[in-house]
Amino acid sequence: MSMISKENFSETLKFWPRHNEALYRRLESKNSWLEERRGPREKGDPDPLENEMVLNIGPQHPATHGVLRCAVRLDGETIERCAVDIGFLHRGIEKMAENKTYQEYMPYTDRMDYLAPYANNVGWCLAVEKAAGIEVPERAQWIRMLMSELSRITSHLIWMGVGLMDAGAVSVFLWTFRYREDLYTIFDHVCGARLTVSHSRIGGIASDIPDDAIDLIEAFVADFPDAIRGWEKLLNRNRIWIDRNVGVGVLSREEVIALGMTGPNLRGSGIPHDIRVFEPYLKYDEVDFTVPVREDGDCFSRYHVRMEEMKESLKIVRQCLEKLKTVRGPIRVDDAKRSYPSKDEVYYSMEGLIHDFMYTDTGVCPPRGIWSYHAVEAPKGELGFYIQSDGTGRPFRARINAPSFSNIQGLEALMEGALIGDMVMLIGTIDPVLGEADK
Amino acid sequence: MATGRSLPFHFTPVDGPRQTEAGTNPHAKDTTFVPDTVEALQGRFGGAVLEVFLYAGEHTVYVDRSSVVDVCRFLKEELSYEYLADLGGIDLFTDEDRFEVFYNLVSFSAKKRIRLKIRVPEAEPVAPSITPVFAAANWNERECWDMFGIRFDGHPDLRRMYMPEDFEYHPLRKEFPLLGVPGSLPLPPQAPEAGLTLDPFAAAHGSKPVKSFQEARSDLADQ
Repeated sequence: MSMISKENFSETLKFWPRHNEALYRRLESKNSWLEERRGPREKGDPDPLENEMVLNIGPQHPATHGVLRCAVRLDGETIERCAVDIGFLHRGIEKMAENKTYQEYMPYTDRMDYLAPYANNVGWCLAVEKAAGIEVPERAQWIRMLMSELSRITSHLIWMGVGLMDAGAVSVFLWTFRYREDLYTIFDHVCGARLTVSHSRIGGIASDIPDDAIDLIEAFVADFPDAIRGWEKLLNRNRIWIDRNVGVGVLSREEVIALGMTGPNLRGSGIPHDIRVFEPYLKYDEVDFTVPVREDGDCFSRYHVRMEEMKESLKIVRQCLEKLKTVRGPIRVDDAKRSYPSKDEVYYSMEGLIHDFMYTDTGVCPPRGIWSYHAVEAPKGELGFYIQSDGTGRPFRARINAPSFSNIQGLEALMEGALIGDMVMLIGTIDPVLGEADK
Repeated sequence: MATGRSLPFHFTPVDGPRQTEAGTNPHAKDTTFVPDTVEALQGRFGGAVLEVFLYAGEHTVYVDRSSVVDVCRFLKEELSYEYLADLGGIDLFTDEDRFEVFYNLVSFSAKKRIRLKIRVPEAEPVAPSITPVFAAANWNERECWDMFGIRFDGHPDLRRMYMPEDFEYHPLRKEFPLLGVPGSLPLPPQAPEAGLTLDPFAAAHGSKPVKSFQEARSDLADQ
């Protein structure tokens, strides 16, 4: 191919032309690539800049929280039509799951919602445990629950810091990152990794929670309520924050159900749907917490829902800490066909070593020809795994019901009719993570 | 470390009977056990309800492909299953009825969840779109079309979800190779004079990259 010059520039770099054509056709725009291809503009044609404008925001725009591309058709400052293009982070993790054993696949779930990886690990392990009928020891369940709630707080902290930075307040970003750093230190002590934790195992967890981590969690639980109170003092009656949030991005009860949105977006519109209450998993039926719900359905009510969720998570964390003092015992199933043996067994007994090899090579085999679905309440909403088994150690089909995917679908409807200046607030308020939505 | 300590010794356990009944699975939930809804469906649609499966306390109802929209409308309007939680495809890789599409519906008021499944043959991979009943199915059906090549009749905007429109394959089909098809997904040029990158995973497909010192000197280097 010849060198790129001014003449052949667009032809050389125009890869995926049909994709962009389809996207612009969806926008129903009169002046975009389609028309450009038809030939030069005729004399009597209207000037496109006078009436409408097509703007591509992302995939590299910092306010899109990842690699989200929004092609919008504008009338003045109003978004008339929005076409969201996702898939820039598509790695085919459902395809990968079919080529990995159940346990091998677990670290991949860290990379889905990378703001709350522990919740994804737990979701996957619970789904496999349901398909194979494995019961998890009680202590492991409490630790899983404790860490899932901490990961909910980390996720909401990112949402808050980044959301406020979108609105122009950079300092809150630094404040939330301080507490997020505390939490990541806790994850480091418990799991040995800060971000990609991979701590949950099928049939239990990898290691028991160390005492110094308990101290850190207790210190965090004592410290954090003051921080939330301070942020609420700053934001709840803040003129700028209210102006940018109240009445922006309103979704009614009927709309959120029709659009299939999940998590805080659903609860912000007055629907008290939470998987932790709807179908309690782990020990959520034994702890005391409430599901915060707001009726207004705008950005401000979603903000309140998430702030209150952090407080509720702290409440659950406190109860888990209390329980962990009394609930002792194993942290993994003592069954070599269902879970990894402990390292003591592996290093000091031949049987243990064989079991370790066998579990890595084959692993847990759910019955042939069955399927099951298990959902958890991840910070973003309902995270479900559908597993279909053919009796081998690898899933025949693993389907991931990602909450961000459902939420971004609602973003198109949220944007149409909004102002272009509110776009960053709208993306921030539904809190998408593209690693999860793009699979 | 543990010289004098006796180590726990475990025999390899024998597989016990598998738990298939409702209620015996430790993770079974009340929400997914819906005999009433299944009965109502059988009473209303009769022959269109093909089979009913139960595993881990989860009911799955196979319905006829052509009547899935009516079944969904009935569930939504009369049994208050108003929320579509999930929709996806499955490639069974069998000679007949190769594909399946499943629908996961939720009723907030009744606190219930039901899974519907339809069978889709390979020769005619078309399913009716349920977007008139559940608007949330829009993106899930697009994803299903993208990944399995199942077309949805009556879908308002059946574009691909993740892959670009220029891509010709359906990656989650069983015959699609894990490493992809070389040349199927061109990426932008990696050097000023190069063409499109036709194979992003060239090394995995066996081709060795040209070392930089072996390349011809670029004309742009002088400018």
